[in-house]
Amino acid sequence: MPGFVHNVCAVLEREWGRLTHQPMYFVLTVFLPVLSFAFFALLFNKGAIRDVPIAILDEDNTTLSRKIAQMIDDTPTAMVAYDIQDMTEGERLMREGKIMAIVQIPAFFEKSILSNSQTHIENYVSGTNITVNGLLSKDIQTAATTFSAGIQLQLLMKQGLTQHQAMAQLMPIRFDRHVLFNPLINYGYYLSPSFMPMMLMIFTVMVTIFAIGTEFKRATAREWLRTGGDSVAAALLGKLLPITAIMFLVSLVMLLINFKIVGTPLNGSLAVILIGTLLFILSYQSISVLIVSLLANLRLSLSIGGGYSVLAFTFSGLTFPIMAMWEPMQWVSRIFPFTFYTDIFVDQMLRGTPWVYSITDLLCMTLFIILPLLCLPRLKKVCTEEKFWGRL
Amino acid sequence: MNRFKKQIASYWQQTGTVIRNEFRTIFTDGGVMLILIFALLIYATVYSLAYGTQVLRNVPIGVVDECRTPTSRSLVEAFNSGPNTYVAYEPGSMEEARQLFYNREIYGVVYIPSNYERNLYGGEQADVAIYCDASYFLMYRQTFQELVTTIGNTGAMVEFQRLIAKGANLPQAQATVQPVIYQSHNLFNPYLGYGTFVMPAIIMVIIQQTMLIGIGMIGGTWREFGLYRKLCPPGRRQMSTLPIVLGRGLIYAIIYAVTCTYIFGLHYRLFHFPMNGAPWAVFIFISIYVVACIAMGIAVSTLFRYRENSLLLLLWTSIPVLMLSGVSFPREGFPEWLYAFGKIFPSSHGVNGFIRLQTMGATLPEVFAEIKWLIVLTVVYGGLACIGTHQAIRQEQRERNR
Repeated sequence: MPGFVHNVCAVLEREWGRLTHQPMYFVLTVFLPVLSFAFFALLFNKGAIRDVPIAILDEDNTTLSRKIAQMIDDTPTAMVAYDIQDMTEGERLMREGKIMAIVQIPAFFEKSILSNSQTHIENYVSGTNITVNGLLSKDIQTAATTFSAGIQLQLLMKQGLTQHQAMAQLMPIRFDRHVLFNPLINYGYYLSPSFMPMMLMIFTVMVTIFAIGTEFKRATAREWLRTGGDSVAAALLGKLLPITAIMFLVSLVMLLINFKIVGTPLNGSLAVILIGTLLFILSYQSISVLIVSLLANLRLSLSIGGGYSVLAFTFSGLTFPIMAMWEPMQWVSRIFPFTFYTDIFVDQMLRGTPWVYSITDLLCMTLFIILPLLCLPRLKKVCTEEKFWGRL
Repeated sequence: MNRFKKQIASYWQQTGTVIRNEFRTIFTDGGVMLILIFALLIYATVYSLAYGTQVLRNVPIGVVDECRTPTSRSLVEAFNSGPNTYVAYEPGSMEEARQLFYNREIYGVVYIPSNYERNLYGGEQADVAIYCDASYFLMYRQTFQELVTTIGNTGAMVEFQRLIAKGANLPQAQATVQPVIYQSHNLFNPYLGYGTFVMPAIIMVIIQQTMLIGIGMIGGTWREFGLYRKLCPPGRRQMSTLPIVLGRGLIYAIIYAVTCTYIFGLHYRLFHFPMNGAPWAVFIFISIYVVACIAMGIAVSTLFRYRENSLLLLLWTSIPVLMLSGVSFPREGFPEWLYAFGKIFPSSHGVNGFIRLQTMGATLPEVFAEIKWLIVLTVVYGGLACIGTHQAIRQEQRERNR
């Protein structure tokens, strides 16, 4: 055992020299990750989406029609940028990308309301961006409903009801809405803690494959193994530990940016998040070792590892829920540790779930650390046989 | 004149050499083929499959019904019958509902208090509390919309019945219950499919990113193998810039002509993505876009000293670049200067123009702004590609002389 520790230390010493002499390591472990975190912090800084341009086609042009147009303009998401004369003009503006919705107020709008007969408002929203579509539909609908309720209230009060009675009459069921865990519906709270770990993961995979792969490319694998006293475990541990440590420190920067600058709430346990992040880094390192030992080729491993890591986002279910996917796709989603990591941060950052609920996710990530290590014999073979070296 | 002719002849010869060499480099190198040819096909397929169902339906919710009357039952039934939610559990208490929620069994809770029926029939306002989980956006949207609409409809029904009971005639009652009918129509993507929304952007970004990484890898090959020197025709001191840039560009254009034809011709049909654009307009736009990407790819590729560098340094940019195009996260949500910065990537213009052409059926003049930008970028990056190649040739010359 002391021999093992000694061997690991020898590899660590060799590794330290490599890390400090090859600028690529600094770029991959510190510079680019922090740059990418800064990018997402800036991107989601505003958080909410405001003033999306829309057009209004007012065929009535009366006090009431102008009032509802004003109410739509006053909503947070919509901004009336164009008053158009006909639908053709609106369609052209939409195809030119200048507006996202057209609200049509028909002729005789005011007259119908005053004579107590039904009228309508049509909203044509572009479905090409469903995020914007959702926000716009909701806000314009709210404006229309509020307007409609105001008219009802006046009608009923004209009939001699008190305001209280009229309210009970026009809205028999009142609902209290509780938006859990993200009451401001802030996009930043939700997207930045998911994109930043994506970046952390991509760089972890890249730097781990790079660190091992260059030993093959430059034919120094045997020297590496010999420094570790011919123990592949010692050699690997000495190689990975410095990267784990640096990436974990960088992940602390990531969490700091998330909590302090983006302002993501921390409703759960910080300890679980920290353990989860460490397991997350280790699991991707472990998978990287598997990839590079199997392929024994730096560039191909980088391509495969990179491709694998980029896919994780889609399958995490953060944007398009896993529940909605086809069943085979639901299985695929489980081959990415990122899926489990996002569960942890949703639970522990936003939802404030008791920590016991996150244990399963932590265990799943641990599996991703253990399983790929079964490839160690293969790594030893690759390190000792020269036919695997110098491949570009 | 003779000298000019000689120069042209040499250019031709060099272009031929570059093309032949580039062809061999790509098709004998699995790593390059994987990125330059197969990545686009694989990613487009995998992402399309992941988003294949397009919409989220039947989100499980829980209803805590403390009223337990036919009136409250009918409200629960109404939640169940909508397309977006179904009542998976009827927990006995809010505490039980919380457990289910933490276990990810349900994503929304409705609480119906015990006085619900009494208030409703006593002419009072009945209260209902709804709890929606906003930690997953699509989930939040589907449940919230469904619950609010159901409550609204049930309420309107009650109001309508009360008015009729008071002796109002039908049209009057209708006009009182709903003076203004609000109707929303979703254009170009009527069911708000997720794939239809995000795939055009993803495909355009993948084209650019595979090009940047793949061409960058070949750029590293040129330096690592000293090709700028090896390909120099005998009798010349050094290679000329233009044949290298044009020869390489031509090969990439041919490769992407093939893969893009598959993607926009067959893949698009397989997954039923909207194809509302005129085919020739789409063809012209994609061609301009591909040329701009190639120019950027060659310009960037001259920076790489080693073959693996492009992948190490560029892979991570894929997600930020997708974000900057303003699709998955709308451009109204991020700072103006960041959006302006995004204009240096062909993808920002390509994505916007392409969605409007192909999904919305715009004509070429309607995407002229994007085309103009792409041409400007082609010229700028084309110039940079020439400068970069020229520098690379000179640097190799220096290294040899040393």
